[in-house]
Amino acid sequence: MEVVLHLPAVPNVELVAAKAVETLGKALGMDRDGIEAVSVALVEACLNAMEHGGSSFVVRLASEDGRSPRMRVEVEDQGRGFDPDACPPDDSTRVQGCVSKRGWGLTLIRELMDDVQISSRPGLTRVCMWKELESAP
Amino acid sequence: MNEPQMNLQTTVLDDGLGLIAAAGYINNEGGQAVADAAWELVGGGCNSLVIDLDGTRIINSIGVSILLEIMEKIMEGDGKLAFCNLTPTIAKTFEIMGLDQYAGIFPDREAAVTSFVVDGSA
Repeated sequence: MEVVLHLPAVPNVELVAAKAVETLGKALGMDRDGIEAVSVALVEACLNAMEHGGSSFVVRLASEDGRSPRMRVEVEDQGRGFDPDACPPDDSTRVQGCVSKRGWGLTLIRELMDDVQISSRPGLTRVCMWKELESAP
Repeated sequence: MNEPQMNLQTTVLDDGLGLIAAAGYINNEGGQAVADAAWELVGGGCNSLVIDLDGTRIINSIGVSILLEIMEKIMEGDGKLAFCNLTPTIAKTFEIMGLDQYAGIFPDREAAVTSFVVDGSA
């Protein structure tokens, strides 16, 4: 089972992707908490793609069978790319009094999903993440 | 899953405690709508707030950043902020971003309101 969305970078289009997660997640038997965790992670990936990636991006959702069935979520854009290892680790102790509270997207993605792989070069950035169908948020 | 539009209801409770019931997508616009409601309550004499997120299923980091700004300004006025009715994912997001270090997190509205009565901070 696979869903592929070609999305324009317009306000709130990330909710289209989240709705697709909800539909596919229900079809796969994923519980509500898992669906919402994937949705929030995907929303962050979509926001990053729109901020750094240009006028459009692609979202792919798929089920993967195996010993632990899971949902695979990919977000691909054609922006300038970035070095994911160069992103500073987020630390919740920096929150209060901090002028800028942006830049939490990758941290949320990594914390909410079970596995995340990021590849990026100028012209192609792909965030691939997995959530087991029966894992906690 | 939430629609983009934010549905907000505000109530002034006893002793300077304000309540905001927010249902919808907390992004930049939804977060700002909550902030506007908060400043209206603060301007009306509420120094502490309960934000009830029953009906909110999805958020993003920009929206949470605006909630953090609300928290900071409430604390600057020696008030307190509490949230209730969080989904597990929203609760985890608050934990990751540190919001739970400074704001009270409660399972339901009654527990959140009671916490202000017990410590007399409202």
